[in-house]
Amino acid sequence: MMKEDNIIVCRCEDVTLKDIRELIKRGYTNIEEIKRITRCGMGPCQGKNCGQIILREISMITGIPVEKLTLQRYRPPFGGIKFSEVLGENNDEK
Amino acid sequence: MMKNKASIVIIGGGVIGCSAAYNLSKRGLKDIVLVEKKFLASGATGRCGAGIRQQWGTRQNCFLAKKSMEIFENFRDYVDTKIDIELKQKGYLLLAYSDKEVDQFEKNIFIQHEYGIPSRILEPEESLEIVPFLNIEKLKAAAFCPTDGHANPFHVTAAYAEAAKKNGVTILKDTEVLGINKSKGRITGVETSKGLIETEKVLNAAGSWAREIGKMAGLDLPVFSERHEILVTEPVNSILDPMVMSFSYNIYCQQSPHGSFIMGYGPENEGHNHRINSSCNFLENMSKKATWLLPPLKKLRIVRQWAGSYNISPDKQPIVCESEELAGFYMAIGFSGHGFMLSPAIGIYLTDLILKEEPPFDITVDLGRFERRETISEPSVV
Amino acid sequence: MIETDILVVGGGPAGISAALACGRNNIKTVLIEERDFLGGQLIKQTHRFFGSKEERAGSRGIRIAEDLMNEIKKNKNIDLYLDARALGYYEEEKIFTVLQNGRMLKFSPRKLIIATGAFEKSLSFENNDLPGIYGAGAVQTLMNIYGVKPAERVLMIGSGNIGLIVSYQLIQAGVQVVGVIEAAPEIGGYAVHASKIRRLGVPLYTSHTIKKAIGNEFVTGAEIIELDRNWNEIKGTEKKIDCDCICLSVGLSPLVDILSQSGCEMVYIPELGGEVPVRNENMQTSIDNIYVAGDLAGIEEATAAMLEGELAGLCAANTFINDVKQDERIEKIKNNLEVLRSGPKGSKIRSGLNKLIKGETFFQGGRNTGSEIEAFKKTGIPSGENLRSILPDEKRINETPFALIECFQEIPCDPCVNNCPFGAITEGTDINNLPKIDYSKCTGCGSCISRCPGLAIFLINKNYSENTSTVSMPYEMLPVPQKGEIVDVLDREGKKIVSGKVVKVLKNEKMDKTNVISVEIPKEFFNVARNIRLVK
Repeated sequence: MMKEDNIIVCRCEDVTLKDIRELIKRGYTNIEEIKRITRCGMGPCQGKNCGQIILREISMITGIPVEKLTLQRYRPPFGGIKFSEVLGENNDEK
Repeated sequence: MMKNKASIVIIGGGVIGCSAAYNLSKRGLKDIVLVEKKFLASGATGRCGAGIRQQWGTRQNCFLAKKSMEIFENFRDYVDTKIDIELKQKGYLLLAYSDKEVDQFEKNIFIQHEYGIPSRILEPEESLEIVPFLNIEKLKAAAFCPTDGHANPFHVTAAYAEAAKKNGVTILKDTEVLGINKSKGRITGVETSKGLIETEKVLNAAGSWAREIGKMAGLDLPVFSERHEILVTEPVNSILDPMVMSFSYNIYCQQSPHGSFIMGYGPENEGHNHRINSSCNFLENMSKKATWLLPPLKKLRIVRQWAGSYNISPDKQPIVCESEELAGFYMAIGFSGHGFMLSPAIGIYLTDLILKEEPPFDITVDLGRFERRETISEPSVV
Repeated sequence: MIETDILVVGGGPAGISAALACGRNNIKTVLIEERDFLGGQLIKQTHRFFGSKEERAGSRGIRIAEDLMNEIKKNKNIDLYLDARALGYYEEEKIFTVLQNGRMLKFSPRKLIIATGAFEKSLSFENNDLPGIYGAGAVQTLMNIYGVKPAERVLMIGSGNIGLIVSYQLIQAGVQVVGVIEAAPEIGGYAVHASKIRRLGVPLYTSHTIKKAIGNEFVTGAEIIELDRNWNEIKGTEKKIDCDCICLSVGLSPLVDILSQSGCEMVYIPELGGEVPVRNENMQTSIDNIYVAGDLAGIEEATAAMLEGELAGLCAANTFINDVKQDERIEKIKNNLEVLRSGPKGSKIRSGLNKLIKGETFFQGGRNTGSEIEAFKKTGIPSGENLRSILPDEKRINETPFALIECFQEIPCDPCVNNCPFGAITEGTDINNLPKIDYSKCTGCGSCISRCPGLAIFLINKNYSENTSTVSMPYEMLPVPQKGEIVDVLDREGKKIVSGKVVKVLKNEKMDKTNVISVEIPKEFFNVARNIRLVK
């Protein structure tokens, strides 16, 4: 038996394969739902590590091919930005 | 199998629809069907600032907010759920920048105390005890309620939905409402993208799409939708206890229990539409506003920005009633950005209204108030 | 607000080519790159490229990068922003935001070309968060950019071209590669890359997957397991492998954040690596002023990325240029891309593109089955049958030295054809064809050896002396052996067969670090000896 709780799916928010599989089995079969409940994909990487693994898990459990699943939505700003940088004040922390 | 008959069809899988579904099922109503176009909390619920506030300026808002907070405080028992709603009660600090605003706060607090809401006025220096790094320049006074706070909207919605399902409610996701059928002035069914559901009762809890759902039933509902933008930072150690908010400076900002800062402000010159794209303008303005008020935030990294739709009513207070023109058509709309924090009490109010077993709370939230000119605009809205 | 005609995002092969296509046509172009240097993955690509002469086949990626960078720097129409990270595109406001030197810059481009490349896929297995688990890209960055040895003993997961090439580069850096595992029943990447590491003694496990990482504080080993035809684990086949690094090379995903944010229509196509933008054959997305090129439009090789970049650049700039010559060039690039993708190894990308570009059949032709032989695809080691198919006749073998091309897989490549001074090597009209040697023309000069990107050409002098032959082979390890040195001579699996004497070392600038070593061995080994190992 695989130790699903030892398998990290989302590194940003420390979500395990076990967490993901349980949610899918509880009926959360849209990656955006799983994102909202677990914060998978809300970290700095916005789901680059976990996204595809979650889609594959949803597909395996529901039998719906990945091509037919809703994809996650990425949001600006890519990679994050400090408030001071938005304001053009780069003199803090230097 | 698609459920093709229902005692009521709830349109909208946001927190209002799910709270109503749960409360109705808890009181024994069978054959409830909830229809959601995408997935639960995919609309305004899942995009909101996640604050829960009791410091309001009108009696019904104070009543509903206080009642809701009592339920949030006992959520696990009340909803019989294992889900943690991440309740944080570290207060709302409302900032006043003019004498007029201070007066208004004092008036509000007078009403709040009638409902047992433990709010109080603070001198600018006193607010530094609550937020030591607050910029108190130009600040006249502040209002503070220690029991206000935060909860996780996804978890609250999920808890209501799962408990409702346990009670037998059918939740249809990815199902769009296409029309509402009527015959002889009565509702006969709801046409969905997955087929017809026969019903005599409909609850319009469609959030930003409330007006469109009304039109399907031939009703002209006085609400409109407006984009409100929001952003979130990376999580950091807890440094900000309360939600910091100002109506005149126009901002709200809080740190979630998870550590991220969530903030937004009310837009100007927004059209009435369903746009929910993000803007560069918001990113820049928000950065200016937030770092002026809370200077240490400068070092924080913004990780995401998004937007949601407020469904706004003429007096910025919810419209929760049965239509006078079309019997069986119920609505819980026009929350004007405060649906999440009021959802527990609204679910109960709707249940009383729909089941007609017990008299509902004595509040004026019906549609008729506008014709009767009984409206008092809520003064405390971002 | 900085106004520009074209804004190109990403300074890898696709982005550079796009910027150059615009800059060469006197279009005001801004090129932004997240790192403080241009080149993207090309910088790490110390291997020689496949493809055709026109696309600089046979050159190392890093050399191509140097040339492209120089051209960018010389072009007055291109404003280069290094250390500049793309943040987002706000379609409604037509503002593109970029972070550089701690400031957010705002650009207002008329057209955008997004060429942000790809990121590495992750894998879920037990203990996958232990220190010592790397992506192949990270390993390559550590080694080839920063000169840091990432580990001592590496287990490579995945046998695509990246996994095979990085394994080879690890060995060049003095790291032991304890194995390459592949879940599919055959090698993912080019077989010649596999043959290279097999000759260095690296075991290759096809139909195997990683079950878990072993170790408490950091990786000390891995447990692997065999898979059956249906990809199910076969109980009892678990194997433990000692290693201090597990390197993941399980594929790439297009880096589509900026496009997804902007509201471009996206679609999931497994053959293209996952989520990709919907686009037409001119690389234009569902948002009219956004074009794409390179890996984010579908995972492929750098050669295709450069062609797509130029195509996107010309098409995006076309409204400002209106030049018939450019229209001709656009058609030519499309044709070159089609040729590049037309071989058996291009079947995946062809199938992906056909799904992507609705309403038109992107590819009419293209061959799906090659002439490779099963065993070779599994092992990377040519079978006896493979070898018999290329050997000249007995008479020719015994006459004078001759070249032997151990190339058994149809891939788009032609440096051997173009570099034979006697025109002895041909492959017909399709660059995917296998090369053929006309042994009446081959003089045994050996100039093809260091040209082959697959290091698959050897020169045999069977009758070097009465009892010995020499085999001349490409050698890219350090140190380079000296003439007269006695070395271990290895077979195609990297096993020592005999000791041999180095009789010749060919090394010059033109060969660009692919030295040719000739080693003298007993005659019986002329068709077995394929590598050498220095005796310490």
